[in-house]
Amino acid sequence: MKSKYIVLPLLITIFGSVVGFVSGGGSSKPIRRDIVVKARQYSYEPDRFEVNHGDTLHIRLVSLDVMHGFYLEGYDLDAEIPANLKTFKIRHPSEGFNWKDTSEIVIIANKRGKFRYRCSHTCGTMHPFMQGEMLVNPNILFNAGLGATVGFALGMLGMIYFRTKKSRT
Amino acid sequence: MYIYDDKIEKQPSVEIKLPEQEHSFNKHDLLKKSPLLKRILKARSFQFLVILPNLLVFYVIIIAGLIGTPVGNRNIAIVFIWILWWFLLIAIMVPFASRIWCTVCPLPFFGELFQRMALIMVRIGKTFNLRNKMFGFNLKWPKFLSNIWIQNIGFLTLCTFSAVLVTRPFVTSVVLGTMLLLGTLLAIVWRQRVFCSYVCPVSGFLSLYSMASTMELRSGDKDVCKKCKDKGCIRGNEDGWACPWFEYIGNMERNNYCGLCMECVKSCKNDNIALNVRPFASETKIKSLDESFKGFIMLALAMAYSVILLGTNGTVKDWANASESGLWGGFFIYAGILWSSALIIVPGVFYLFSYLSKRMSGVDSVTVREIFKGFSYILVPLGLLAWIAFSFPLMFINGSYIISVISDPLGWGWNLFGTADFKWQPLLPEYLGYVQLILLVVGLGYAISRGYFVSFRLYKTDKAALMGLIPMAGFALLVTMAFLIFFIG
Ligand code: SF4
Ligand code: SF4
Ligand code: SF4
Ligand SMILES: [Cu+2]
Repeated sequence: MKSKYIVLPLLITIFGSVVGFVSGGGSSKPIRRDIVVKARQYSYEPDRFEVNHGDTLHIRLVSLDVMHGFYLEGYDLDAEIPANLKTFKIRHPSEGFNWKDTSEIVIIANKRGKFRYRCSHTCGTMHPFMQGEMLVNPNILFNAGLGATVGFALGMLGMIYFRTKKSRT
Repeated sequence: MYIYDDKIEKQPSVEIKLPEQEHSFNKHDLLKKSPLLKRILKARSFQFLVILPNLLVFYVIIIAGLIGTPVGNRNIAIVFIWILWWFLLIAIMVPFASRIWCTVCPLPFFGELFQRMALIMVRIGKTFNLRNKMFGFNLKWPKFLSNIWIQNIGFLTLCTFSAVLVTRPFVTSVVLGTMLLLGTLLAIVWRQRVFCSYVCPVSGFLSLYSMASTMELRSGDKDVCKKCKDKGCIRGNEDGWACPWFEYIGNMERNNYCGLCMECVKSCKNDNIALNVRPFASETKIKSLDESFKGFIMLALAMAYSVILLGTNGTVKDWANASESGLWGGFFIYAGILWSSALIIVPGVFYLFSYLSKRMSGVDSVTVREIFKGFSYILVPLGLLAWIAFSFPLMFINGSYIISVISDPLGWGWNLFGTADFKWQPLLPEYLGYVQLILLVVGLGYAISRGYFVSFRLYKTDKAALMGLIPMAGFALLVTMAFLIFFIG
């Protein structure tokens, strides 16, 4: 008896995630974006920025106080930003510690969702919690996840309804 | 009248069975399955042997915090306590093994040693109505403090300073040292583990969330307990000390206040102790409002930490970190918001939902207060899973510090095992969102499905129970959505 009604929340969960997925908005025309990220103890400015899937991002990094890092998850990128300089060092973590000097990072936002950038260079007490967020729209995980969650809650209530209905008769 | 007698007398003679009761879950006794495990737990030296290594590590950690580098992520005190221990505790020990941490916890060690004047052996004799000889003043803990309010307020206070606590090795050591000292002093004055039962700030959430745990220690057959004359579990005998946690396992139904010290496994003459594996979230009864409020405090803290520690806003971080930033005004704003959400706003909103639940159920005979208390149980699966979701990034993002700090525990440039130069390396950071989403949905699912049991106990009929559950499911959904926004939005 139990197993039969589990199908219900499952179905509604999937339905919800599809609704969330679809309603998340279509794609817009890719553009170039110039972004300056300023690091300070213990946050970034901007601490969150949004771009669209396919955009080309030109990111420049500066530090306003001590040396900081910029480890962008999902994009295989890590940077070391010395204080008050126009240039900084970058590497691709998948290739080990092969640092290169540069004054600009160019990436194509080809992965959707929320990606955090974190300080990778110990900079003080709150260093492990220093981070910012890059949002590449549409945020599929969030849209689908939210839809799925709402669907799941409704499905659970539905399951309880049908289960107890049966036990009543 | 001693508390021990109270508990034995309160033993119900007639068991009231509800149609859909949580006790219908399947359980498997590990002690029956594994004679080896049973032999280990029955050994008198068991608890001492498992505490000893922890005591040594604890000692190293306190020293490291006091004399080692002030840089948190290079000091073993911070890395071991706030990354390794915390993650193991909240994501593994509590959900799967109840209060197993309390089995191995070194904090009460010296206090208990003083009370028993023994590391391994048992002393027989007489201490009030126990059959063990115990040292110290053995005063009775005041009745009005026999709840978890001290733990609630203590935990909230500590957590208000968490940005400082989890980043400053020195502060971590001082707090741990103070707890050790307090545990010892209280044991000298008051009887048994009053520190654990009523004061230890960790204890509060261990007790609340262990209700969800997939493991429990219970008497195998309650009828055997009713007929049992010896009552070694609660009065002690030559095989074991009387339960240091004031629990009478003969009618114990919940994990909350059993510290899994395993004394009753040794002292029960009828071999009537079972260590059961059971489904997640099998016990659903909140006994009193102090426990409800523990649930709200934990929920509010999980939200606050998601903003302060996992969030991006630098101003909020500076407020929470006022001892460095000097923004004490901001600190008081932050602390004010934290305390009022934990003690007033979130419970207030929940009270409104409880009122709605009553209206929708159409049942008049239950008070909103009872509904509030009963349904506050849903904060257990909801809060525990949210805490696990919150803790995953701590471990996966900063876990690599464990590898480097092992070789250089004090941050003094040592390289004991050759791993000191291991660089910080987040583990699969871009996939954590998926894990967090699943964890939150699991919490929501248990909140709703177990919420139905609560609802049925309150409203007595299926229809009323379902209707009354709807607003509470709505509350759980809102909370889940809030965490989704923090984590993946
Ligand atoms: S209650 Fe606290 S002090 Fe006591 S054993 Fe558990 S964690 Fe340790
Ligand atoms: S000693 Fe054993 S049988 Fe007797 S009351 Fe305690 S647990 Fe039950
Ligand atoms: S019931 Fe008491 S004696 Fe038995 S394990 Fe739990 S705390 Fe120890
Ligand atoms: Cu930094």
